[in-house]
Amino acid sequence: MTPPDSAQFPNAVVAARALSQQVPTADGMLAILSEVELAVQAGDTLAVTGASGSGKSTLLGLLAGLDQPTSGEIVLLGQRLNDLDEDARARLRAGRIGFVFQSFQLLPALTALENILLPLELAGRADARERAAHWLARVGLAARAGHTPRQLSGGEQQRVAIARAFATDPEIVFADEPTGNLDADTGARIIELLFELNASARTTLILVTHDDALASRCQRRLHLVAGRTQEAALA
Amino acid sequence: MTFLRLGLWLLRRERASGEWRVLLLALIIGVGSVSTTGFLGDRIKRAMSEQGASFLGADLLVTSPRPIDAWPAHSLRTSSALEFASMVSRGDAFQLATLRAVDADYPLRGEVRIADRPFEADTPRPAQPPPGAVYADQELLTLLNAQVGDAVQIGEAAFRIAGVVVEEPGQLGGVFGFAPRVFLRADEVEATRVLQPGSRLTYLYQFAGEAKPLAAFGDALKPTLETTQRLIGSREGVETLRGAFANADHYLQLTALISLLLSVAAIAIAAHRHALRHYDQAALLRCMGATTTQLRTLYAVQLLTLGLLGSLAGVAIGALMQQALAGLILPAAVTRLPSLGVAPVGVAVVSGLLALAGASLPALMRLIRVPPLRVLRRDLPPLPAAAWISATVSGSALLILIAWYAGDAKLVAGFVGALAALVVVLVGLARLALVAGRGVQKISYGPVRFGLAQMLRHRFDSTLQLGAFTLALFLVALLALVRSDLIEGWRQQLPENAPNHFLVNIAPHQQAAVAAYLAKHRLEASELYPMVRGRLVSKNGIPIADTLPPETRDTNTLRRELNLTWTTTLPANNVLLAGTWHGERRGPEISVESGMAERLNLAIGDTLGFESGDQTIAARITSIRSVKWDSMQPNFFVIFAPGPLDALPASSIASVYVPPDATGVLPGFVKTFPGITVLALDKLIANIEAVFAQIIGAIQLLLGFLLAAGMAVVVATLLASLDARQQEAVLLRTLGAQRAYLAKGLWSEFIALGVLAGLLASLCAEIAMALIAERLFDLPLRLHPWLWLALPTAGALLVGMSGWLTTRHITRVPPMQSVRALN
Repeated sequence: MTPPDSAQFPNAVVAARALSQQVPTADGMLAILSEVELAVQAGDTLAVTGASGSGKSTLLGLLAGLDQPTSGEIVLLGQRLNDLDEDARARLRAGRIGFVFQSFQLLPALTALENILLPLELAGRADARERAAHWLARVGLAARAGHTPRQLSGGEQQRVAIARAFATDPEIVFADEPTGNLDADTGARIIELLFELNASARTTLILVTHDDALASRCQRRLHLVAGRTQEAALA
Repeated sequence: MTFLRLGLWLLRRERASGEWRVLLLALIIGVGSVSTTGFLGDRIKRAMSEQGASFLGADLLVTSPRPIDAWPAHSLRTSSALEFASMVSRGDAFQLATLRAVDADYPLRGEVRIADRPFEADTPRPAQPPPGAVYADQELLTLLNAQVGDAVQIGEAAFRIAGVVVEEPGQLGGVFGFAPRVFLRADEVEATRVLQPGSRLTYLYQFAGEAKPLAAFGDALKPTLETTQRLIGSREGVETLRGAFANADHYLQLTALISLLLSVAAIAIAAHRHALRHYDQAALLRCMGATTTQLRTLYAVQLLTLGLLGSLAGVAIGALMQQALAGLILPAAVTRLPSLGVAPVGVAVVSGLLALAGASLPALMRLIRVPPLRVLRRDLPPLPAAAWISATVSGSALLILIAWYAGDAKLVAGFVGALAALVVVLVGLARLALVAGRGVQKISYGPVRFGLAQMLRHRFDSTLQLGAFTLALFLVALLALVRSDLIEGWRQQLPENAPNHFLVNIAPHQQAAVAAYLAKHRLEASELYPMVRGRLVSKNGIPIADTLPPETRDTNTLRRELNLTWTTTLPANNVLLAGTWHGERRGPEISVESGMAERLNLAIGDTLGFESGDQTIAARITSIRSVKWDSMQPNFFVIFAPGPLDALPASSIASVYVPPDATGVLPGFVKTFPGITVLALDKLIANIEAVFAQIIGAIQLLLGFLLAAGMAVVVATLLASLDARQQEAVLLRTLGAQRAYLAKGLWSEFIALGVLAGLLASLCAEIAMALIAERLFDLPLRLHPWLWLALPTAGALLVGMSGWLTTRHITRVPPMQSVRALN
């Protein structure tokens, strides 16, 4: 089997081939993902959908290089992840990959502005502070710069998290159930914001959701059933 | 660079977090404790080194119990002095003093400073006073209620006090000095008629000159000296003293180290909780592209910053407390010690960093190994860091720390062993106490029941808190008991009319007059024992040192001259253990004290050789007896049968009971027999008590740190369980529990913990005290009911306060806010 590489997927920013993930359980190995094939082009939006336990988050983690597959290959931003150790994968992510999580994952001790500042500082950006302020304003929270997550509502926290994900001008943003912890109205506003920012930044967006409304906003959908793909191109 | 800055930035943003505060506080307490002793030890050592030759008063000093007439040829400057104890009296007041009779050249190095009036400016002067005069120190003036210019009586001669001795070579201040100092002229000793055959004298021969001739002289002299004579060079002099000091310093430092190690426990708990609360942060940073090296940098910077801040603050506290400690152990010398040194700062900071590293590295190593996938799956634990690596790292950090303070391998092993045993005992006791707590919980109700349930549920935390606090309270109590009990107990067990005065230095011609004087005043005296001073030199014809294993040769029994006596009746308080008492038999027979026989490996039938002056006496051991040393009777290691010592010069000793209403007799006695030394037991005991109080005061100051470290452990463990507690509080409040209910629950829990710790500490203190009293001092068992009240009260107060202050806010936060905070 020829490994996927940049030559094979000339425009793909993320590609996976024969990707499988198994975990040991008391009754033997349990397959979480089986033979997943995938190629996402720059600027694409892809929704990974499926029921709970279908392997959505596992796939997201593997594609972002947060975990190693049991078998199969992944190419992320032109690099074959199988050849990289944990630290090399971290270096690859720095400044080039953004994340939005279901539980927001803001650092409680930092203010809204400082939370956005964090990835910019990590990427060693000289204009970190200005950019952080700019992105906080983009998500409409300029007035809340000095507030800590505890002083923000769930929707506001997720907006800060989105600003944080886009602040470094990443090539890919991975979002894991970004509206999962929000009520319907707030969730809808967050989706608007996410897609608006994505469109203007021309970022590749890969999001995991079980929300059809959210999935339908993406160009492509990858449906997982018991760890196997059923991809459907969306209009 | 970025991660350095990032580390500091995150640290600044989190500085208010409970874990960092506890960690910092514990570190400050620990470092404060070791730097207190470190600073003072350094000041004293430097004081000794800086004095150099002036410390001895010479470049070379020879001490001997007998005059030395023949010296190797030399071209050095010399001076000689004679030191002895005698009564000094003025009117009805009398006092035992240490007299030093000096020639015009004393001291050869350094200076003696004399003031014309007490507390007036002093000037360096020769120590030899003008004819007919003496110099005395301030203490003697106070005791005799005398002033400069007054006359005092020494033996049969009267002297005028010509000045106050403020400073003399070799003196760091009245540390353990029992008798005040007097300088008089060597050529006026004769007139006092104080010196008797058998008096304990020290001849001091001093030499000064160039290094080469000094060395040659020393080399020539050494082989000619006997075991009771000592040659001390200025460097050795300081070294000897420093060695003696270093031992005491060691134990103080180890006491301080216990506080540091208890702080390490608090730090470890705080660091563990910090790591737990930062797994998400670490995972997020990994997710954003931080490598392990970068995370390591980030957390190392934070740790180092905290370590430096805590250590420096601890050093500042140590600098303040060492002054208090100096005041306790060297009251007279505080102002004369050199200023604070820089070296102990380094030692304390390195100790702090080592303690911090040892305590927090395992937690931080886990933090670095958090998988980035945790951002998606919160249940993922950090990758298991090889347990042996973190155990080795922190184990060796702590071991280095202990080794550093303990010095030699034996002490390290002893310390670690004792520490491990203590931990096992304390954990065992704490667990038992918790089982007992379960019984109490069953019969309690409402918030008290809830509070006790909390204590029992957090079994690990409670055990740790109980252990730490029990240890602190136990040591504090034990010291208090040692101070009050031993001396009090000793006093009480003396028979009602046990002798309370010793009469020493009774010349043969005075014996009848003394007996008559005592009889006239109806004073009960012991038998008069003649005393001859002699040195044990051989056993069965072999030099005594050669019969002993090398490590036991350096015993005091061989280095000093023994008081030898002879009598026909076995003294009261002596019990014959082996052989037969010589009784009226005359001849070369001796009875030896059992302890000495054991130390020197002596048995019935052995022949011992003694040297007294230029005479040699040999005698066979025919009995071994035990001696009750605290009986306040004249007691002897070696008692001869009548005969062998008859021809030797002797003075006598007796003990006498002077009833409280008859003390008026004593001034008359001293006036009648000015050459006889009267030792008042009360004063002797008071002196021992004062020394005890000084040492114990110093240790108690260090135990203050230990109590503080114990409180830090309580706070750290409570912080670790704070989230769970808050969750329960929210649930209870949502279910309708009032604030007062929660508050009562918390108080019950902490008071119960404190009371249990107090009870355990009381138990430990009673057992330890009983062992000390019985095994070491042969005192009857005594219980201390007040202890069982005082320690639990103190425990309840201290644990209650620190516990309540740490957790009270969970009763105050509205449930809604708590729910959000926990989400």
